[in-house]
Amino acid sequence: MIQLSNILAKYPGGEGLELVNLTVGPGEFVYLVGPSGAGKSSVLKVICLDIFPQSGHVIVNGYNSLTIKKKRIPYLRRKLGIIFQDFKLLPDRNVFDNVAFALQVTGTGRHDIKRKVLRFLAEVGLSHKRNKMSYQLSGGEQQRVAIARALVNEPIVLLADEPTGNLDPESAEDIMQLLEKINAKGTAILMATHDYRLVRHPRRKIVRIEKGKTL
Amino acid sequence: MLYSLTEGFKGLRRAKFSAFVAISTIFLSLILIGVFIIFILNAQRLVNRIQSRMELELFIDNSYTMERIEELKKSIFTITGIDSVRYVSKDEAVEIFKQQFGQDIFEILDENPLPSSFQVKLKPTFRSAVYAKKISEQLNQLEGVDEVYYRQDLLIILEKYIQLFVGVIFVIGLLLAAGSIFLVSNTIKLIIFSRSTIIEIMKLVGATRRFIRRPFLVEGIIQGFIGGSLAALFFYLILKIIKLEIPGLILINQKNYPLLIILGILFGLIGSLLALRKFLKY
Repeated sequence: MIQLSNILAKYPGGEGLELVNLTVGPGEFVYLVGPSGAGKSSVLKVICLDIFPQSGHVIVNGYNSLTIKKKRIPYLRRKLGIIFQDFKLLPDRNVFDNVAFALQVTGTGRHDIKRKVLRFLAEVGLSHKRNKMSYQLSGGEQQRVAIARALVNEPIVLLADEPTGNLDPESAEDIMQLLEKINAKGTAILMATHDYRLVRHPRRKIVRIEKGKTL
Repeated sequence: MLYSLTEGFKGLRRAKFSAFVAISTIFLSLILIGVFIIFILNAQRLVNRIQSRMELELFIDNSYTMERIEELKKSIFTITGIDSVRYVSKDEAVEIFKQQFGQDIFEILDENPLPSSFQVKLKPTFRSAVYAKKISEQLNQLEGVDEVYYRQDLLIILEKYIQLFVGVIFVIGLLLAAGSIFLVSNTIKLIIFSRSTIIEIMKLVGATRRFIRRPFLVEGIIQGFIGGSLAALFFYLILKIIKLEIPGLILINQKNYPLLIILGILFGLIGSLLALRKFLKY
């Protein structure tokens, strides 16, 4: 489903990814673990093709970085959901509109938007706060909105970049439980974190990354 | 499309200050260009006026009778490029002499030595040094023509300066247009930069490049339209006042006001396109 083979993706300053190999299969929960600056976020950016690898290749749901046309990249991204440490919600819109936004940009009809947004807000437990502005919510709630937005296009994999990094332990625990629930329903998850304590199921796949290299 | 339109309008409301800066930039650029156009139109008219005064003076053989003079006039018209021919009799020549030199020729001489002549005007497209020389040579060959006189030196100087003027105008015009687009593009770049989060999110949730660009283009068009309309209104009001003060001045034709608006829209659109190019590679 997702396969990164011998990825080299350096930034002009010399930092970036040097040798990354990683696979995420259907329904898997994969932890990408490493210290700050190891290249975890860059791996997620390479998967989204926000950064193009200089060598090696990425395959996401049949799209290959070596052959994909730039015009097709948005369609690849529709198969991915992504959440960040800083939530990246739009402060001038309410909860409903923040989630609806992901559907509007893909050209979904108004009726479908309403139905899907309400369904995914219910899934993250925020139906009752749909009319609140994003800044009126707690950190944990904002991350839930971000998760609903990431899921509303029904991606094959959810990419989570330090999703609990800005949250208190209690909210972090809630978010982790929510991610477990989502994974149990069949959505694969690739979660980048520097916090080894979050890796709660030792039997799950753990990929370590250091100085731009997967170990 | 509806989304792009509503987002374009909302964008203006969300970033009021940036929109104000962009509109002001377009407005000022267009005013600069408008003033420049007024300057060109007036300079052009001045040149045309000088050229239209240009005429060839053709002195007629003193022995010619009126009948032969009429024939000569007919043969002048056979030459291409002749616009009009005016006969100046010997008596009229005396009058002209008196006007120009302030002295009656009969006070100096007993008889009138001034020849009768034709004042030949050329058609507008023939009012150049090259044509004037060619036509004067043709006129010289006509029977009964003593001499053809015209201000060749003046024409050559005028043409030389017109060429220089056109060149300078062209360069200034180009610089003005490029400068305006650059300013507008930079302002819009700032607007886009202030909304980099929304663009980032749009990209990540799979919006196509075209979809992301459209609201910004709509915004650029709206800004251009407002800037252009304000510039048109400005010229309408200011020129109304100036027209009273300087009646001879050529000003922007009312028909050209929509052109200002179209130019404003173009600036906004091109500015947005240039600004977006940097932010939206793929």
